[in-house]
Amino acid sequence: MAESAAPRTPSRPGTFARAWAKAVGGTSFLPMTQAQLEALLQRLADQLAGALLAEPFDLRPGYRVGTELVANHIASAEGLGRTVEVVQLRLIRDLGLVGDDVEDRLARLLAAVATGYARALRDRTLDEQESIRRAVMMARTQAERALRESEARFRRQATHDSLTELPNRALFTERLTAALNEPGRGAQRIGLCFVDLDRFKVVNDSLGHQVGDRLLVTVADRLRRALDGHLVARLGGDEFVILVERTGGSEDVVAVADAALAAVREPAMVDGHELVVTASIGIAERQVAGTTPSDLMRAADSTLHWAKAAGGARWEIFDAERNRRELARYALSAAIPPALERGEFYLDYQPLTSLRDGTLLGVEALVRWRHPELGVLRPGSFIGLAEETGLIVPLGAWVLAEACREAEGWSARGGRTPFVSVNLAVLQVHRPGLVQEVHGLLERTGLPPERLQLEITESTMMSTAEEPVRALRGLADLGVRIAIDDFGTGYSNLAYLRDLPVTELKVAGEFVAGLRAPAADPGSRTDERILASLVSLAHALGLTVTAEGVETAGQAERLRAIGCDAGQGWHFGRPAPAERILERVG
Amino acid sequence: MQRPDWAPETIDIERPSVARMYDYYLGGSHNFAADRAAAQAMVAAVPEAPLMAQANRAFLRRAVQFLTEAGVRQFLDIGSGIPTVGNVHEIARRSAPDSRVVYVDVDPVAVAHSREILAGDARATVVQEDLRHPERILAHPGVRGLLDLDEPVAVLVVAVLHFVSDEDRPARILHTLRDALAPGSYLVISQASDEGRGTEERAEAQRVYRSTDNPLWVRSRAELTAFFDGFDLVDPGVVWVPQWRPEAPENAEDAERAVFMGGVGRFGG
Repeated sequence: MAESAAPRTPSRPGTFARAWAKAVGGTSFLPMTQAQLEALLQRLADQLAGALLAEPFDLRPGYRVGTELVANHIASAEGLGRTVEVVQLRLIRDLGLVGDDVEDRLARLLAAVATGYARALRDRTLDEQESIRRAVMMARTQAERALRESEARFRRQATHDSLTELPNRALFTERLTAALNEPGRGAQRIGLCFVDLDRFKVVNDSLGHQVGDRLLVTVADRLRRALDGHLVARLGGDEFVILVERTGGSEDVVAVADAALAAVREPAMVDGHELVVTASIGIAERQVAGTTPSDLMRAADSTLHWAKAAGGARWEIFDAERNRRELARYALSAAIPPALERGEFYLDYQPLTSLRDGTLLGVEALVRWRHPELGVLRPGSFIGLAEETGLIVPLGAWVLAEACREAEGWSARGGRTPFVSVNLAVLQVHRPGLVQEVHGLLERTGLPPERLQLEITESTMMSTAEEPVRALRGLADLGVRIAIDDFGTGYSNLAYLRDLPVTELKVAGEFVAGLRAPAADPGSRTDERILASLVSLAHALGLTVTAEGVETAGQAERLRAIGCDAGQGWHFGRPAPAERILERVG
Repeated sequence: MQRPDWAPETIDIERPSVARMYDYYLGGSHNFAADRAAAQAMVAAVPEAPLMAQANRAFLRRAVQFLTEAGVRQFLDIGSGIPTVGNVHEIARRSAPDSRVVYVDVDPVAVAHSREILAGDARATVVQEDLRHPERILAHPGVRGLLDLDEPVAVLVVAVLHFVSDEDRPARILHTLRDALAPGSYLVISQASDEGRGTEERAEAQRVYRSTDNPLWVRSRAELTAFFDGFDLVDPGVVWVPQWRPEAPENAEDAERAVFMGGVGRFGG
């Protein structure tokens, strides 16, 4: 039996096994120690020796040895070559094997070893190739999944606000556009609410941005919950927008706006602060046909500003007529700078007449705009706009310069040359450099300072700022006359009359209007008494008084009787170009 | 161009992978034509390449053997590549069956292959991460789930550091890893070295290594020794890998032909 020829217990590595180990060492990586390798090869050598001597001769052990070599990672072309070499050269000799046909048997056994080895190596190669290809497929699947996930993540990042997790402007615009473009929906209606928190900046400034951010998250959560079913998006900052689809009319959007206002109004606990915020909402609601996303967004946005301007904590509905007016106003204010450049403004003057002797004391300069499309515009239609936009500064500067330039050319025929009275807006008085500007103007034009009167309103002096007071003192020091315009309609602060270098009070026309009624009328008598007190007060302070809005001879007579110094109004002359006024005097 | 973090890599077997080239040097068939072509080109330039790989793999085996004998039961093998013959978990478990091993590689195919091999093994896992982001490796749930960093861990940075350029600050990477380790932990490093070569020879070697798709940053013995900052080097220190505790004296002959130098350091205590 073959078994009997092979030792039952593995023999210690002999010369042959060591030589074999040396031959195959380094032909491929072997994950074992030298001793383990030698022990393995000794076992295989014993099997080969057993096979050489066994009766009947059996090739299978040779085949098995080839297979085992590969299984133990002696698995390279060199490993086989060296094995064949070392077995062929040394096995019979080293083990002292004797037999009739041992040479023959060795050749056949080696062939079996080589066959077993080659088959095992081939199987191993194929297995490894299969396994690495499987790994590639798995890695690809993994990579594709990761790509899909990252794309989804990327898409979410691109379409959602990272702070509140609400859809962002991009997604909102996409959905709004889709809603407006969906076929067959032209007859339906759609609405938007533009929501903006009131005075959110105060939270950020006083409690820090972290608290502000958490408040935004809270508000976002509430809006999302309160307006379930409607798309709520964050446009940025503290601005949110709600899309209300398939509305039956503006009342549907108003209901949404009310819900949003209520959701925001709930006190919020953020970092131990109980915060109460309100919101302003602009509503735009209309038929789908004929509108575009940007139209609708713009409408809701400008309506939001109406709600803000009205004090916040409310909604406003878009009103096309109001919007047209505002657009027109906006267009008009935008046209002021080019109109200044093109010389579309000019001045008319209205006489300020002495009630004592009827002489012309001065004239008030009144600006006119010869608008290329709208015709001649009076100050009432554009001064307010100019004040809102700050354009009053360049416009007022032009009026002042033009008035000084024209007035310098006037000459008295007979009496004293009249002074020119120019209105100064609040913004002009608050700007540094006004005194220098006036000083320069007087120098350039050569107008004597006492022939320039500057009219300021009471409200100019209402602020606590130092600048206006300093400016007035500087102007008075130049020798310019200072008049308080519309006296009696504002706070009529008497303190500044005492402290400031004012030369004249212009009494508002509404008191004068009362003098048109018969003297016996109680209201008329009250106005007359007020006027009389004002006049005596002014005179006591060394100020002159001019009454505005004098339209009749009766009014003029009663004002004279009171002791009022001068009058202005249609009774004395309407605004007109300077030549005409001066002609009349002459 | 640097791939942005959110974009997964593509799996392209037309591009050689160092992990599969290494498998080829070790006599494996877990490789593709492009890997073999690149490996053969490398052999043309550096005939010792297969020897390098085998000597390095043998060093890894002896080092893991040493570590298990030193009582280490947790292994973090960074740059583990294709897990062919002589896996760390197989070697370690021969003498310490309770050893836990986390393999880390950046190559998605190597990771997928490892995952298949380790399927069903509760004490070994693989994570896909880049050695250049050690903080990510340390924070990875796969690592945290299997290894207890309050207990000694052997960190194996074997045959991978030469792919980390000086600009990527290998010392910083190793310090980050070191700072997460408990006393009694170990660091094993091996990498290609130009120790003892003349200036000209060194420049030539640099040229060859850096012209490949995966350029090698060969480093001197002094540079490798410095990487063990904070560790006590175990005898015989940083040497050519065949010289590190050879099983037979003759195995350490012509050791510099192995091109790799390596060492083992013990942390604290």
